[in-house]
Amino acid sequence: MRIPDIEPGVIPPDPVASDALIGIPRQQTNPARWQGAGWPAFAAQLTAEGIEVIDASHLRGTFSTDAGGTAYGMPHGVVIARSSLQVSTILKAAQAHRVPVTVRGGGLTTEGESVAFGGLLLDMTGMSRVIAIDTAKLQVRAQAGIFWASLAESLRRLGLDYLSAPLNLTSSVGGTLGVGGIDVNSPRLGCSADQAIALQVVTPTGEITECSDSENAELFQRVILGYGQFGVITEATLSIRPYTPLKMRYYYYSSLRTAIEDLQRLERGDASDYSGILTMMDKAITLLVAFDSDQREAEFDARWHAGLRGSGEAGFALRMAAHYALRPWNLKEALFLLRRKRQLFPEFRRPEHMRDGKMHDRTVVFSRAVWKFWGGRQMVIPDLATSADKFVEAVERGNAVCKRYFPYYTLYCVGIRLREDHRPHYELSCIPPDAQGWAYGCEFEPLLGDDIWSRDTLQSFKNAIYDIGLDLGGSYYRFGGMMKGYIRRAFGDALVERHLALKRKADPAMILNRDVIF
Amino acid sequence: MSAVRDVHTLIVGASLSAAAAAKRTVDAGLETVILERKELPRHKICSGILSPRGYRFLLENFGPLPREALHEPTSCRGVTFHFPCLIPLTMDFFGGTTPHLHRKYSDYWAIKRSGAEVHDRTSFVGLEDKGDHVMVRARSQGEELTYRARQVIGADGPSSLVTRVVYPDYPKQIPWFFVGQKFHDIVDCPLDQDYFHFWFHPELGHYTWSHARDGRQIVGVGFKRGDNFDARHKKVKRYLEDKHGVRLAGHEDEEGCAENFGPSLIDRYVFGKGNVLITGQATGFLNMIGEGMSCSLHSGAIAGEAVVEARLHGKPVQEMYRRMIASEVRRTTDQWNPLKIAFGRPHEADFPAALLALSWRERRLVVRDIWRFLLLYKEFNWGRQIGALALQRLVGNGYPMQRWL
Repeated sequence: MRIPDIEPGVIPPDPVASDALIGIPRQQTNPARWQGAGWPAFAAQLTAEGIEVIDASHLRGTFSTDAGGTAYGMPHGVVIARSSLQVSTILKAAQAHRVPVTVRGGGLTTEGESVAFGGLLLDMTGMSRVIAIDTAKLQVRAQAGIFWASLAESLRRLGLDYLSAPLNLTSSVGGTLGVGGIDVNSPRLGCSADQAIALQVVTPTGEITECSDSENAELFQRVILGYGQFGVITEATLSIRPYTPLKMRYYYYSSLRTAIEDLQRLERGDASDYSGILTMMDKAITLLVAFDSDQREAEFDARWHAGLRGSGEAGFALRMAAHYALRPWNLKEALFLLRRKRQLFPEFRRPEHMRDGKMHDRTVVFSRAVWKFWGGRQMVIPDLATSADKFVEAVERGNAVCKRYFPYYTLYCVGIRLREDHRPHYELSCIPPDAQGWAYGCEFEPLLGDDIWSRDTLQSFKNAIYDIGLDLGGSYYRFGGMMKGYIRRAFGDALVERHLALKRKADPAMILNRDVIF
Repeated sequence: MSAVRDVHTLIVGASLSAAAAAKRTVDAGLETVILERKELPRHKICSGILSPRGYRFLLENFGPLPREALHEPTSCRGVTFHFPCLIPLTMDFFGGTTPHLHRKYSDYWAIKRSGAEVHDRTSFVGLEDKGDHVMVRARSQGEELTYRARQVIGADGPSSLVTRVVYPDYPKQIPWFFVGQKFHDIVDCPLDQDYFHFWFHPELGHYTWSHARDGRQIVGVGFKRGDNFDARHKKVKRYLEDKHGVRLAGHEDEEGCAENFGPSLIDRYVFGKGNVLITGQATGFLNMIGEGMSCSLHSGAIAGEAVVEARLHGKPVQEMYRRMIASEVRRTTDQWNPLKIAFGRPHEADFPAALLALSWRERRLVVRDIWRFLLLYKEFNWGRQIGALALQRLVGNGYPMQRWL
């Protein structure tokens, strides 16, 4: 029997029947291990060029999975990125020897996007310097492997701050620009990828190129939110701003719909500088708003505060006490909520980060909280991204799925201000094509703790969430990797084929991050 | 005797569950060897009708199926249940048609795609769990072989030798059935070729089915071991002719094997001991229409995941496996849980909807016939156990692990 080899991106006809698994593309989403043809010659060439290739199995093993922990792969070798020139040399050799190269920043992907199923893993954390900070233009140039936490630290010394970064600040800048990056200031400033002014990119064939909206614009459009398909980002110039401490405000809801409606109303009215929703299941829903200045807070109080339907902390606590007093059979759930509140709330108000009621060091506060209280041994966070008008339904249906699968979970909802001039960046990405003004995203995260779950259970849960996105015509922030089958289903074959043709032109041997999208 | 071969994971049997387990361990970079007593590709007795869930697993983990891995007709649209009252109940699978696998080639394809090293024509002989590793004895063409593995996965089917070595008394603890199928040339067959046909008829046997394959019609019977295959088969063939107008020529080929039907119904699975994991149909996993391939794929994958996770987190592999396999136990035993059947949707076709589409009179007759069919199983004393498990499922999130071996 001949076992056919299927080239990346090829979807063969189904010999079973045209109506088998209706809608699901004939695509292997949990990739086969690359068998290593060409590896010895490739590794020898890199070594001859002075590039250290790590091949000890215990060292390669540290890269065998990502934060999601549902995809595993073992690279044949690992290179720590040191310079654009070195990356260029690697990609040229990889094209010649047809060796897959998988690029990894913080490794915080959840669908195996940064897992190498054989071939070379290029660890970008070796390129983590801040190159220049222009305080007049409010711009920073940094190497792409730098983590947001380190970038924030460098900026803070000069009284500056990033505009928008992912909540988890151990993400790398390059990785984030390739996928989006969403924060509680995204409703006002857009996603992190929108903050990129210019990039240095090493193309899949090894050319070192500078690109921006005015220079090599087509490459820039494809690399931003491009999921690593069209080049390795080696340096980035980002917009920045003066640093300000935050004043946080919390409103508590027991209805997802009401909280989301209030959130969207605030965002349409530009009522606050930061906003988002964090929940404990669908029982305790917190709408958080924050302000960069006393003036903005005063304007909010005058115009918006009275119209919000959420309660203060004390009032909400009384309502919850009454709710559970009438439902003693839900005592376990009540105790969980109480315990989580006691753990979580002080974390946002730690005295070393608060002065005069304002939060300093939001980078540290958010990052600590994320690592301590979200996720667990593995991060399972399927999400839905929709236009504003579909968002309530998306969250309510996703919430029902969470309830069906897990006893405890949390939701994180945030808006993303869209920039009309960035529409070309958004094509085939997490931004839903029908979103106008704002896109909205909700992450559905079971609180797994140290529990052991089969990947099948976790994947079934994720599929149930992703299926809602198909029904509603939305997109996904987790975009690619093991959920890449949903890309064709959500965006249609024509658009995917067009991008695939671009990819084949840019990357003839299909070596760069080849298992991620196509 | 040859030198000892060191491997991380040794899998016994080159089945679909073995391929799934190997896919997980190979992906994680663990050296994996599969032992298969026959030469690959090898024949496998099976209906070949894979559930849609199993098909999705194959597709996502091994890629698009090659045509060679399919019989003709290449697909199956759903299931038709037949009853003595002659009211057929036809149900399409959720999500569309599903493959009719040619197990000889589909298993070989999946095994090759897993990337594991395969030692075929190599029979498993025995093992000894030394605590931190397992010594495995095998034989290949008269030569004695020895393997030292960190973990062993038994994926060698219902009559698993690995299970017998780990639990010598296990085969005596469960009732055994025989399932056999004969292949007939077709003279005239009004049964819809797009469907798998199953009879709830106590006089025909515990498990009676028919479907088309490669221009011929399969007539299959399942019964408690010890009965006569030819007599059972003859009776079914005559019934099909009398009641359904199915006219078949004499058979040229036949095949049969032992089957462990019970464990899924009563949550009495066998998952192994220490560093030896049992997976696939060897555990007792079986879906309600007797389809075991999807359970095999998923449980095999879970066995592989348990090996990977145990290594990463320094925990006992058996503990990891049992905690992770709970999801597959839930999914499979739910299919036999009367409360789930009545009020949930545990199957991949909508039985309650098909029943409700009948008139009240027809429903009464069908339910009566199902009840009479179930009485056939009375001698195994499974009824009370199924009832008790259904009640426990109401209050808990799964089925009790204490019942597993």
